[in-house]
Amino acid sequence: MSFFGLNLIGGAVDAFQQAANTTSDNIANFNTPGASRQVVNLTEAPPVTGSPGYATWQGPGTKGDGVIVQSITRIHQDSYDGLFRGASSAQSYFDVQQQQLSAIQSSFGEPSNGINAAFTNLQTAISQLASDPTGTSQRQSVITSAQAFVTALNRVGTAVQTQQATVIQQASTVVAQANALIDKIAALNGQIRASRAVGDNPNTYLDQRDQDVDALSKLLSTQTSVQSNGSALVTVGGRALVNDTQAYHLANPVVGTDASGNATLVIGMQGDPTPSNPAPVQLGSGELAGYVDVYNKNLTPYARKLDAFANAAASEIDRVTTASYDASGNPGIALLQPNVGTQAIGATNITVGITDPSQIPAALASTAAGSLTTGINSANNVVNTATAVQNNATFAHPGATVGPTTGTLTVTVDGVAQTFAYDFSGAGNAASVDTFVTSFNNAQLGVSASFDSVAQKMVFTRDPNNTGPAHRAAQGANPTTPSFTIADSNAPAGGSQGTPSSSLLEIFGATAISGVQQNGTNAVGAGDNGGANALLKLFSKNVGAPALQTTSPTAIAGAGSVTVAPPAGNPTAFAQLDVGGQLTIGAGTPAQENVVVTAVNRTTGTITFTAANAHAANFAIATTATTTLGAYYGGLVGQLGLDVQTATTGSTAQTTLAANIDKVRQGIDGINLDEETQNLIKYQNSYQAAARTMNVLETLLTTALGLIPGG
Amino acid sequence: MRIATSTLYAQQTQAIDDQTALYASLGQQLSSGKRLTQPSDDPAQIAQDLTLHTTIDAATQQSTNVQNAVSELTTTDSALSSLTSVLQSARQLAIQGSSDTLTSQQRTALGNQIDQLLQQAIAVGNTAYGGRYVFAGSAKTVNPPVQQQGNPVSAVQFLGNEQTQGQLVYNGQSFALSTTFGAAFNYQSSDGSPDVFQTLITLRNTLVNGTAVDQSAAAINQAGAVVYGPQGSPASPAPTTIGTPNAFAVTPVADTTGNYSITVNGSVNGVQGVSTITMPAGTAIDDGTATSLVGRINAVSATTGVTASFNAKTQKVVLTGQGSFYVSDAPSPGAANTGNLTKVLNLAPQADFVQNVSTQLGDVDHALNGVLNARSVVGARIQALGAIQSQLQTDLTDNKKSESGIEDVDVASAVTQLSQTQTALQAAYSTTTKLESKTLFDYLT
Repeated sequence: MSFFGLNLIGGAVDAFQQAANTTSDNIANFNTPGASRQVVNLTEAPPVTGSPGYATWQGPGTKGDGVIVQSITRIHQDSYDGLFRGASSAQSYFDVQQQQLSAIQSSFGEPSNGINAAFTNLQTAISQLASDPTGTSQRQSVITSAQAFVTALNRVGTAVQTQQATVIQQASTVVAQANALIDKIAALNGQIRASRAVGDNPNTYLDQRDQDVDALSKLLSTQTSVQSNGSALVTVGGRALVNDTQAYHLANPVVGTDASGNATLVIGMQGDPTPSNPAPVQLGSGELAGYVDVYNKNLTPYARKLDAFANAAASEIDRVTTASYDASGNPGIALLQPNVGTQAIGATNITVGITDPSQIPAALASTAAGSLTTGINSANNVVNTATAVQNNATFAHPGATVGPTTGTLTVTVDGVAQTFAYDFSGAGNAASVDTFVTSFNNAQLGVSASFDSVAQKMVFTRDPNNTGPAHRAAQGANPTTPSFTIADSNAPAGGSQGTPSSSLLEIFGATAISGVQQNGTNAVGAGDNGGANALLKLFSKNVGAPALQTTSPTAIAGAGSVTVAPPAGNPTAFAQLDVGGQLTIGAGTPAQENVVVTAVNRTTGTITFTAANAHAANFAIATTATTTLGAYYGGLVGQLGLDVQTATTGSTAQTTLAANIDKVRQGIDGINLDEETQNLIKYQNSYQAAARTMNVLETLLTTALGLIPGG
Repeated sequence: MRIATSTLYAQQTQAIDDQTALYASLGQQLSSGKRLTQPSDDPAQIAQDLTLHTTIDAATQQSTNVQNAVSELTTTDSALSSLTSVLQSARQLAIQGSSDTLTSQQRTALGNQIDQLLQQAIAVGNTAYGGRYVFAGSAKTVNPPVQQQGNPVSAVQFLGNEQTQGQLVYNGQSFALSTTFGAAFNYQSSDGSPDVFQTLITLRNTLVNGTAVDQSAAAINQAGAVVYGPQGSPASPAPTTIGTPNAFAVTPVADTTGNYSITVNGSVNGVQGVSTITMPAGTAIDDGTATSLVGRINAVSATTGVTASFNAKTQKVVLTGQGSFYVSDAPSPGAANTGNLTKVLNLAPQADFVQNVSTQLGDVDHALNGVLNARSVVGARIQALGAIQSQLQTDLTDNKKSESGIEDVDVASAVTQLSQTQTALQAAYSTTTKLESKTLFDYLT
């Protein structure tokens, strides 16, 4: 009999006490984020090495020496951490996108309360104006609806800019959070390393570090590898954030530029040699990448498209209003003007330039009503518009049979003189009234021809919608003019009816058409709605966005990729162009072609595209008319909707994915109360059994002691 | 499978969140009636939806514009109807006046009635709709566009222009919303015929003064050809002579000597005078000299009191005498028969007041035809606008249907989904409550 039994069972009581404590710790932390369950590893106590004189059954290892707590370990499987962190990064990325894009989507207010409604109202007001151009209320209504349109543009444009500022601010906050986490992880690395060095299990520190890396993964895509000394190497896009106890901080976001000189939101590392435009950290996903991508891939393109829309709308609408006459017969002024005249019109730089209803231009210069053109028929004959012009007695001036049958009409409008080569003989482009009207209008000279069969008059009307790329490019920065002039290279023959003429203008009832405008000679009058109708037509016409009309100083030698510089006087000509933009370059057949911008360089202001034809210096460059204004804006809204939908879908999918992975991970290392309760009962019972055993041993001992006399 | 207790709670929270979000979204759809309330609800359709909004508003406005135009055209039609009555009355009076038995007082009385009709025609020309003169074209005139000159009215001045008002553009096609002054009143006609006012003024003057006029009943040129007057500078075609082939509607046939002769029998201050004019085939109708047909007739007007002129625009020869006169083909000296010059020139054998009024009936009819044409044009426009209106209404209905298809919620399916969601949400609530109440601790004593 010895006291050894008591010692042995005492150890057991102690072990069960430890186990119960660990269970208590688990129960206490079942709701603590990042806490892994800990288990007590009980093991049989190593046998006491006996003396050589002992019997064999008393030798070491034969008889048990009780139980001891070998270790308290943390149940954790690192492989699931990586999976969870990846899913969690993606979830945060989409969450941020979804929040930011939903906010901007609300700002657009589509489909009922946004720019589209205002744009539609403007169209309705113009339609009313066309119906009664003499009415003051109709004119006022155009101004009011234009103001509403501009206000809507300003509101949405400002909302996008505000959102951009908000994104930068929120990204800064996230950078601060990330830097704090990086510091914590570095500190924990130190503690874990120290603890490991002395052979401890730093379970709580490990939990904390995992928890911090989890939190960091929500902010950016981290890769973690645990080193042999227990420290964790945390990297993002190949760059270390934490190496042992060394923390590397992220820099605050700045708006720098990319290789092409486009403004981009960049997050670099602190200590970058160029803090104003640092080398960007590859953030992968996570909240930070979400903010950066929302800024660069969503908000910036939205702002540019919105500006391009405002710019194209203003350019096209103003082209018509400045080509028209107002109620007083004065040349029209631009309806939409920039707030800051030195900058291009954009969504936030646009205002209504007309406040006086009488200044709303609704009339177009035309020879229809005046005396600039006269009847082209002879005597009481009626000109059949399909029959030949040449030597036709039904014309007051038949086309000459001797002398030239070809010549050029020079149409001067918008400060640009363009020529139309005609040939009224045989199968020429002016062989009959009909062929002339068709070929003249196809030349897109800013003036359209039509024939009034009742009055037997050729009517030339200012047509701002009928201006081709060549005209636009030649016009450049020249102001649009409402009046126009047409001159003929062949002199009129004069004389009474029947005199043959080589001058096409004379054949068509005019000697020269100089400065057609609204005046006493050719008073179309304020009741004319030509300008209003031209405006209306604009809404269903394809236009180029952003508006661009310029020329290139350099020639193109032949097919191939070329980089074109802006004209000397206008270095920012291409500023609103983006990669993928469609341009129409050159003039005439077959030189005119459509090209796609393959690169832009904001620093030099140049653009690059692949041309198929050779072009002489000063060839025309204009944006290709590919879409109506409404459809262009609709495309922007569609893109926005798609982006929000993608972000929402992504957020939902990644949330589910992260939750599922976390469920599995928690299944391994999470704390289950029922399980812990069972353990508690188990350890309680074990403890009770050990205690009772101790009691029995104590009784035995007491019995043994009672045998000693005198006790 | 092992489940961490906290996972259980997170899972339930997530389930309730999801169902609540769906419930709220369905509730919003049902209460607003719209399935598409923001672009992300249906990015594929949003651009189409925006276009439809624009199209519907544009069509609605255009429909209003068309309605206004129809009202204005109806006013124009009424005005033209009045003008028809005016011209028909003038025609009646002219027929009444073309009688030898009338005294000069009676004729003057008829002339005064014509003057009344002229005033009425001017009033028609100044018809207004909603503050706009319907025949003024696009010119904004404060004053009525038709202004009379002289008393009695000797001419009218037109202040408007010949632009049709309010061109309506529909599907790229332009539709005029008015007729023009020229079309309605034959004003400054391209064939040179007199306008409504000039017709009435001449008729009134003829009735009051008793002037005799003999003019070609129809244009003397062949269709597509021209009888040229004096040569202009530089050389225009040589003046047409009687012998020019294919120039005249009626081919000239000379008498046996190869010449043409006409006898003009008129009077000067009541003294009768007769003159026979003989011309070779090479004689021009009017070349500005005394050797042409016109020149030769004018050369003897001291005897006959008859003057001649050629209107190159209307291609008509006009003879005017102070009183009645006669024009007839005569044989040239030595000829066995006569030529057909009066047929070629389409002149009546007798020119007196009665004949003059009869001739002017032709002008009245011509003007009347013009008005009727204008009316039929207006009628056709009203009809065309009616067609556009119904097309617009169809478009509107179709587009609204498309818009509704894109935007509006399918109530039946949304309600079904709502009740499903409700059930799921209730299930999630009750599951959560039950799960949370179950733990082994409950059984620990």
